[in-house]
Amino acid sequence: MGSSSSGMKDVPDAQELVQETGFSAAHLLRLHERFEFLDRDGTGELRPEDFDAIRELAMNPIGDRIIRAFFSAGKETLDFPSFVRILAHFRPADKNRDRAQQEPANSRTRKLRFAFQLYDQDGDGKISRAELLQVLRLMLEMQVTEEQLQCIAERAIQEADLDQDDAISFDEFKKSLEKVDIDHKMSIRFLK
Amino acid sequence: MPRKRDAAAMDDVGIEIDGDLSDSDDGVAKRRGNRRQAGGRGAAKGRGRGKKADSEDEDEEEEDEAPRGRRGANKKKPAKKRGGDDDDESEDEGPKRKRGGGANKKKGGKAQDSDEEDSEEEKGKKGKKRGGKKGEKEEEDTKGKKGDAKGKGKDKDDEKDKKKKKKKDDSSSDSNSGSDEDEEESMSEGEMAQLMEEVEEKKKLIANIRNKPWRMGRRLTHLREAQQFVDKFEGALGKGKGRKWYAYKVMMTKKWIKFQRDFENFRTACIPWERKIKEVESHFGSSVASYFIFLRWMYGMNLVLFGFTFGLVVIPEVLMGLPYGSIPRKTVPREEQDTAQDYSVLMDFNGYCKYSVLFYGYYNDQRTIGLLKFRLPLSYLMVGIGTFGYSLMLVIRTMAKNADVGGGDGEDGEFTFAWKMFTSWDYLIGNAETADNKYASITTSFKESIVDEQENQKDENIHLRRFLRVLANFLITCSLGGSGYLIYFVVKRSQEFANRDDLSWYEKNELELIMSLLGLVCPMLFETIAELEDYHPRIALKWQLGRIFALFLGNLYTFLFALFDEVNTKLEEEQSIKNASIWAMKEYYANFSRMVNDSEATPPPMNPADVIRGPCWETAVGIEFVKLTVSDIQVSYLTILIGDFARAVIVRFLNYCWCWDLEAGFPSYGEFDISGNVLGLVFNQGMIWMGAFFAPGLVGINVLRLLSSMYYQCWAVMATNVPHERVFKASKSNNFYMGLLLLVLFLSLLPVVYVIMSLPPSFDCGPFSGKEKMFDVVMETIDLDLPAFMGTLFSYVANPGLIIPAVLLMVLAIYYLNSVSEAYKNSNMELKKKMQMARDEEKNRRNNTDSTNQVMKDLEDLLPNRSLIPPAPPEPEKPPEPETKPTKTKPGSAGKGVNLQKDVALASPNPNTRGPVSRPPAPRGGGPGPGGGRGRGPPPR
Repeated sequence: MGSSSSGMKDVPDAQELVQETGFSAAHLLRLHERFEFLDRDGTGELRPEDFDAIRELAMNPIGDRIIRAFFSAGKETLDFPSFVRILAHFRPADKNRDRAQQEPANSRTRKLRFAFQLYDQDGDGKISRAELLQVLRLMLEMQVTEEQLQCIAERAIQEADLDQDDAISFDEFKKSLEKVDIDHKMSIRFLK
Repeated sequence: MPRKRDAAAMDDVGIEIDGDLSDSDDGVAKRRGNRRQAGGRGAAKGRGRGKKADSEDEDEEEEDEAPRGRRGANKKKPAKKRGGDDDDESEDEGPKRKRGGGANKKKGGKAQDSDEEDSEEEKGKKGKKRGGKKGEKEEEDTKGKKGDAKGKGKDKDDEKDKKKKKKKDDSSSDSNSGSDEDEEESMSEGEMAQLMEEVEEKKKLIANIRNKPWRMGRRLTHLREAQQFVDKFEGALGKGKGRKWYAYKVMMTKKWIKFQRDFENFRTACIPWERKIKEVESHFGSSVASYFIFLRWMYGMNLVLFGFTFGLVVIPEVLMGLPYGSIPRKTVPREEQDTAQDYSVLMDFNGYCKYSVLFYGYYNDQRTIGLLKFRLPLSYLMVGIGTFGYSLMLVIRTMAKNADVGGGDGEDGEFTFAWKMFTSWDYLIGNAETADNKYASITTSFKESIVDEQENQKDENIHLRRFLRVLANFLITCSLGGSGYLIYFVVKRSQEFANRDDLSWYEKNELELIMSLLGLVCPMLFETIAELEDYHPRIALKWQLGRIFALFLGNLYTFLFALFDEVNTKLEEEQSIKNASIWAMKEYYANFSRMVNDSEATPPPMNPADVIRGPCWETAVGIEFVKLTVSDIQVSYLTILIGDFARAVIVRFLNYCWCWDLEAGFPSYGEFDISGNVLGLVFNQGMIWMGAFFAPGLVGINVLRLLSSMYYQCWAVMATNVPHERVFKASKSNNFYMGLLLLVLFLSLLPVVYVIMSLPPSFDCGPFSGKEKMFDVVMETIDLDLPAFMGTLFSYVANPGLIIPAVLLMVLAIYYLNSVSEAYKNSNMELKKKMQMARDEEKNRRNNTDSTNQVMKDLEDLLPNRSLIPPAPPEPEKPPEPETKPTKTKPGSAGKGVNLQKDVALASPNPNTRGPVSRPPAPRGGGPGPGGGRGRGPPPR
């Protein structure tokens, strides 16, 4: 404890955040460092442009969406607590978590929910075909024809769509990714 | 967020609910805490569990007691201040409890109640049980110095209050336990050992819990308590030294993990050409990449062979053997000396090349060479045989390993497309080029899936298809037979021609011409015929490979035939030359003594260049192989340069001023010819195996070839080729390639072993000269170098009476293992089917529609009265979707409309109401511009 307590003073609301997100103090410190690094103006708040400095995001086909996911609707800035709350999604899941009434942000469902939101742009709780097509266009090279794109989207919906409403709801999304090791894919290792 | 609110609310509600909730949360927090902080406050120890988990609690307590009891017993010094009572308590309580088990606990730690825990007592509203529990807790927490704060039951605030608490702890412990601290230090040794042991035990339990023959519930409770125990004590092993040690350990573990990760990265970076291959794979699909992986594997194997050959044969000969020009076999004959350095002669591997360390003939038959008494002839033979042994072992091992991996080949993915869409991006990519490759690879993998999907949707007319396949096979058998006969005929003719000398140019080269014509025409013919079969491209590739392989076997056969002819003539020739050379030698000495007129004087040795020598058929064979290999290299490189590169250049640049679109139209860009390249590689390797015995230098040439061809072909494929029209996923195991390789290996093994065992070596060249058979060198070694009993031992082992039973035994073992694996395979299939069925059923239930299972439907149709169907689906009348689907024949798709399931038993449940992905991929080269086939635009954002 002693080692981290000195640095913890710089972090706003550290105790609450630790408790709320389950990050350890050391992680919080580290995140805070990162936050300050990204915050080039030193205003204590991040703007979307600040995220462009991350090359990994700049390269990502849906990088814009990811960045947008950090900002709650209508807001143009992001303070540190919200930053941490979002990142809590990426904390590796705890191995032997007993069933809890309140799911922590790093649970499988919450992780998936986060991913789902990236695809569900209009926020209606469903990934429609148009939304799928958008993503596909972003992800594939030019040499795939429009027709093929349609087919792929069609297929993806067919595979996942269980209630035949021509769109992928969150439950269906969850179901289709059942076997994917989300805990592995959506975890940032150093936050272990 | 919400958690806090809950916590606050819970304070009001009281301890029971609190217990339920904090159960998990605190567990989490605690674990984290433990792991993070060396001190590992046994923070959540005080978590109040309501009555909810009585049994759990009991178990846990039991758990807790065990170590405590021991700990108590272990204490050498009686505890000082507060420890005193507790220790006594636990000392006599430990064993009792253990005996008493649960009953004891029900009463709660009555004995302990008398402790100083009164304040706790009132807080523990749960009465005795609770109090007792606390008491225990308390006692145990004396270790962690957390007692006072802990008992308050405000568990969920633990994290928050930590600092405060700590201060309190410190102050309290400071005041009352100056000596305590010391004691802590001193006793931590034995105690820690105990605890460690305990923890280890628990860990073992956790690891083995699967194998315990317990009920699930019991397993779970055991697992949980063991984990809790480990979590608690692993970190909380006292203060002072133990704690430091723990902190150190945690740090080292972290470092170790990081190191492992770095090492893993490093290892990946060390895999040669991994990046190149990945790049090719991302643009051309796994099928093309599989060739390069095969090439890399081949390179590795050849590198080892090269190491053997050069390390054990060539280098010793160069370093320790006689130098060039010392004996006839190491000297260019006088009549050849004028031309021995001509370029054309050297390119034919005559002249100096022929009398160099590259070839068999150069090696001397001295039994040992150099100071080390290196047995070169023996080593030569052993390396020759070892080459085959090693290759066989390696190929078979690789095949076995691949078969292991290849289990999940079918990858009956249910959500292929959805998965690909949602999960294929690698979020760690931060490099533009890598991102480019990733785009390409995602595109490619989508295309591969489309092809697979098309394949599943096909099979519209099974009878027609079968007929066409039979027809195709018939045609191909015919053409194979025809070409086989042609080869046979030509070989016969060439033998006739060999006796005449008035040959035209055509007649001289007839054999080679025919062979290369066949090699050129037949693969194309096969490919055309294969169109009839309409297989999945992956399977089609296998067929194609197999057929061309059969064709090339003809090639091999002629080559070997011609070679053995040559060897036989040389053998005859040799006999006469042997006499002649002996006669010449005698004559030389006679002349010398006559001229000098002094019979006493020893004549100077004859100039080695002048000695009459035999034809040395082994070297001739070796030269033949080397020439073949070199010409093969030239041809394949030139093919790439002209067939691919020149074509690409022409198509690319002439396109500006041409009347039709060259890129999309006729010449277009070349595709990478997987089957041709793989077979080229395989046959080349066959040549190496056969020739390595006669020309040790061949292995070196081959290594160079593979190395250069890796770079060259990688470049060529990226620069000049376009992806296949139907990119398909290669099977994960390259076992088909390996199988071909194994066959070729076996075929090339035969002639070499035949030569070693039964042909007499040349009398005046090579390491075995003067022996009856090459194999005699082994006999000689056994006789001369090994103790006598070894010789008898070998003779026993070689006894047919021993060999035949051994072979029988092996056959039986093979049979047994084979049937066992067969059985496993069957049960595997069975299980897979079951899983698929279960999935189908579930999906259908969810869909609330009729079963799409074909078999069930058929059965239902057969039923005259539907009332017999027990679980009537909601709307049984509703016709199943896939069948109602009309034959959608889009102009693009060649009648793939009818959606009959291929495998009825596995009836894939696609309710394909909206049409499958059944259109063929678009014509390649989306961009009409000069960008070529691959859309290499900047990633769309």
